[in-house]
Amino acid sequence: MNYNPPTPVERVVARNRWISWLIVLLLILAALYWLIFVNQYVVAYQDGREHFKYGSIGSEPVNGFPILVFKALPVMFRDELGSTGYRRFGLLYETEQSELPVGMSRRIVTGVERVWLNCAVCHVGTYRLSLTDKPVFVYGAPSNNLQLYELVKFFLKVGSDPRFTAANLITAIDSPEVGGHINFIDRVIYRYIVFPRVQAGLSLLAQRFAFLAKQNDGSTPHYGPYYDWGPGRVDTFNPYKATQFNFPMDAAHITTAELNGSADFPAIWQQHPREGLHLHWDGNNTSIDERNLSAALGAGVTPVTVDIDAIHRVRDWIWDLPAPAFPVPPPNTDEYSKVLTRGRELFAQYCAGCHGMKNEAGQYDYDPNHYPKLGQIEPLDRIGTDPDRWASYTANFSAAQNMLYAGYPWRFTHFSKTGGYANQPLDGIWARSPYLHNGSVPTLRDLLEPSACQAGKPCRPAKWYRGSDILDTAKVGYQSDGYGYDLKDLFQYDTSISGNSNKGHEGKAYGTDLFRGDKDAIVEYMKTL
Amino acid sequence: MLLGQFPWLISTTYIDDLTQGEANMAPEVDGTFLHEDNAALIFSPLQFRHLTVKNRLFRSNLSGMFDEYNGYGGHTRLNWEEKFAKGGIGCIISSYTPVAVRGRILIRYAMIDNDDKIPFWREVGKRVHDYDCRFIMQLSHSGRQQDMGGVENLFKKAQSSTSQTDFFHGILAQAMTVSEIHEIVEEFAQGARRAQKAGLDGVELHGANGYLITQFLSSGINDRTDDYGGPVENRARFVLEIVRAIRREVGPDFHLQMKINGVDHNNWLYPWKKKGNTLEDTVTICKMLLDDGKGVDSFHISSGSTFPHPRNPPGDISIQNLIRWYGGMLSSGVRTRFNYAIFNNPIGGPLFRWLWQVRRGKIIEGINAAYSKYLRTEITRIDPSVKFLCTGGFQHASNIAGVIRDGSCDGISMGRPLIANNDLPHILRTANGPIKQKECTYCNKCLLNDLANPLGCYEVSRYDGDTFEEKWENLMKDVMSVFQPPLFR
Repeated sequence: MNYNPPTPVERVVARNRWISWLIVLLLILAALYWLIFVNQYVVAYQDGREHFKYGSIGSEPVNGFPILVFKALPVMFRDELGSTGYRRFGLLYETEQSELPVGMSRRIVTGVERVWLNCAVCHVGTYRLSLTDKPVFVYGAPSNNLQLYELVKFFLKVGSDPRFTAANLITAIDSPEVGGHINFIDRVIYRYIVFPRVQAGLSLLAQRFAFLAKQNDGSTPHYGPYYDWGPGRVDTFNPYKATQFNFPMDAAHITTAELNGSADFPAIWQQHPREGLHLHWDGNNTSIDERNLSAALGAGVTPVTVDIDAIHRVRDWIWDLPAPAFPVPPPNTDEYSKVLTRGRELFAQYCAGCHGMKNEAGQYDYDPNHYPKLGQIEPLDRIGTDPDRWASYTANFSAAQNMLYAGYPWRFTHFSKTGGYANQPLDGIWARSPYLHNGSVPTLRDLLEPSACQAGKPCRPAKWYRGSDILDTAKVGYQSDGYGYDLKDLFQYDTSISGNSNKGHEGKAYGTDLFRGDKDAIVEYMKTL
Repeated sequence: MLLGQFPWLISTTYIDDLTQGEANMAPEVDGTFLHEDNAALIFSPLQFRHLTVKNRLFRSNLSGMFDEYNGYGGHTRLNWEEKFAKGGIGCIISSYTPVAVRGRILIRYAMIDNDDKIPFWREVGKRVHDYDCRFIMQLSHSGRQQDMGGVENLFKKAQSSTSQTDFFHGILAQAMTVSEIHEIVEEFAQGARRAQKAGLDGVELHGANGYLITQFLSSGINDRTDDYGGPVENRARFVLEIVRAIRREVGPDFHLQMKINGVDHNNWLYPWKKKGNTLEDTVTICKMLLDDGKGVDSFHISSGSTFPHPRNPPGDISIQNLIRWYGGMLSSGVRTRFNYAIFNNPIGGPLFRWLWQVRRGKIIEGINAAYSKYLRTEITRIDPSVKFLCTGGFQHASNIAGVIRDGSCDGISMGRPLIANNDLPHILRTANGPIKQKECTYCNKCLLNDLANPLGCYEVSRYDGDTFEEKWENLMKDVMSVFQPPLFR
């Protein structure tokens, strides 16, 4: 018998206390669940340029790697990447000690710090004036180093590599290079949760990118050749079709021309005056915001994970970002002034109608009222450049794109199939080498030569090397002859391959028939843009 | 007033409006009357069917924990009641007198649960009769409004019409079975028989302010589905059975009156609670209790379905005193700790006080007069011999005479003003009221101190003295005067 029973009030108060504790416990658990598994954490950067370089735009939740896994992979696959790790793929580290390259951001998702790409990975270029110089980073310039194709192929290979095991991963994480020092609990989490999820993610990626893996990488082509993009280039829309929309990528559904849509990364400075002009190489959109969001999808963002505010911050930073000045001061001589004057006159006559130019005050004039063809579509048969990039963007694809972000205010509505390539403003053109949409012409001076080579006459190079960041300040463009490099570290660009043609933008109207001195004068003037 | 001149024109809609609006209006006082006129009316006898009171002033039920723990009356109770008789009051309505220990609201209240209590109450009657003061015993049962049930009730849930926990203090309740209802009806009847045998002048059923009879009457509380719940006629069955049982025991000539809420205002604290009985419900109940002339002789009109309630006793609430003395109730209910935390909170306490004042309304003195007037009009049309008393802050002759003169009631009952001035009837004979400093401030500190201290007036500002210490010393003398003379001298 209980000689000290509780009173009815005490019984109810005790029960209520338990209920209260239970509610508090549930609230704490709910709060912890929210804080750990729902809420995401990013590193915030006050400075716009730092945000551009390292700020998260929402690519990590679905496509990101846990940072320790990302850092462990070069250790696990050192025999393939060498001692420089991801630098092999042209990822830029600001210092030797930098933990992450420029263009890679971090975000804590479900309690795990993940890393993946942001805008800067494709839009930071480097140059050197001489072999011994330290590379100068040009923010907003097209990347001339990034070998995105090789990077993706590396990740696809990792997913199916027998050495990619949980045990090897944990060993690599604990290595001095990574310095993970994970404890027993973390080991269990990495072995039974993180590793299987990364492996599954890579497996899914491999399925989506099957059209890459099966072509021109040593195995038998599936149905036709698919070519390495090379440094500074990306096939924007074919991976987009596969990953975002699950478009069938087999021969029954896609032509070889449509399949090889590789093109140079663009510069992204001075976006404000470009609003309303036709954007992308083929001019398939006139909205800066839509173009940005679409490009973010290419960096791994999804319509669900997109950090729209972060992307708007990038937009704000590039809105009026000035184009960089040519790094070599012009000679201060009367003779050079005359050359510049001549170049300016010729540029105005031959180029400005489509590309605009600087006004008397020295400001680049982007006004279509002054230059009616600026930012407009140049028909394919007139410009004559390689059609494959144009062909890779189809009407079906634009229809699918216009369904993206349905239900959000930023739903796509501007994408459309055009009839050619868009005329771009040429501000900061010296930093946008190589030239034409597919980067098939290494220098500005080469662009003023015809593509067809005749004995004794100069022409655009048919095979040359991409990947150098040593600037040819005379011809304006990166060195294309392999100077200063071990040739196997460069990418030989073959203009005979599908999608790589250097034809077009030539003939009398395009200045390729001018005298050599006039061509030189135009190039000198273009250094000032 | 239209209401007084043409009562037959009053529609039900108007009555509903009255419950919300006019009840907050001050009773009209006709300034053309001299104090002598008012005094003459106040000090004219009040003739009930079977009882005559020398004036129109009643002391309403004021308790104080003055008795033995087990309910035997104590010497201090005699002193307490005698104070008011000596002060000139016409009739004293006893302290809340439980008919059974399970119906106790606070410990140390004299009960009427057994014949062995009769001698004490006989002595009480004798003491007050010496001053030509009548004495009516208030027969009471707490139901679930059991603030401190005492050790006898420690392991029992309170009996009630419902099993719903009291919403204010969270006092646990158990709906009574029909058999238990019959037992309690009989306990009331036996209580009345004992009061009659003790030579007292009548009994009053405490059917107001949230106690057991209210718990049956109120549509905001009674959730029964048997013959004692549902429509108002069913809800009134319990008290009608009590009235009939009492009449069976005491006969038709013993004074029997019923204290009842004009309107319940059951949602004063939590607006989502049911409002409870309307004035029209109360009219129906009163008509039933007339029982064709064999029922009650008088009604005593109050309001508010809990005790305390912003309307009863109407006034302020002292958060400081709540914090000091509410602690004694912590073990009584499942919401007392929550309440105490609210009172203690720098925001919660003032917010509660604000709510208290808002829910009370602007009028204190005569707060129930409009209800009483309507009920009296309705009932006396059926039986003019039935009298009405009205409670609620009265302490001025002009107001008291005013409500009697305008037909709101036949007499008034007073509580706190009499604690403040035990001789208030003598004052009213010659003046409109006490001097300003001595008036009851309606602070309700007496109410809150009753949970732990001798019942008395704890408003320091009313006492003589130039410093706080002097005033406090005089306050103590006044409060402790109830113990004079001591039992052993």
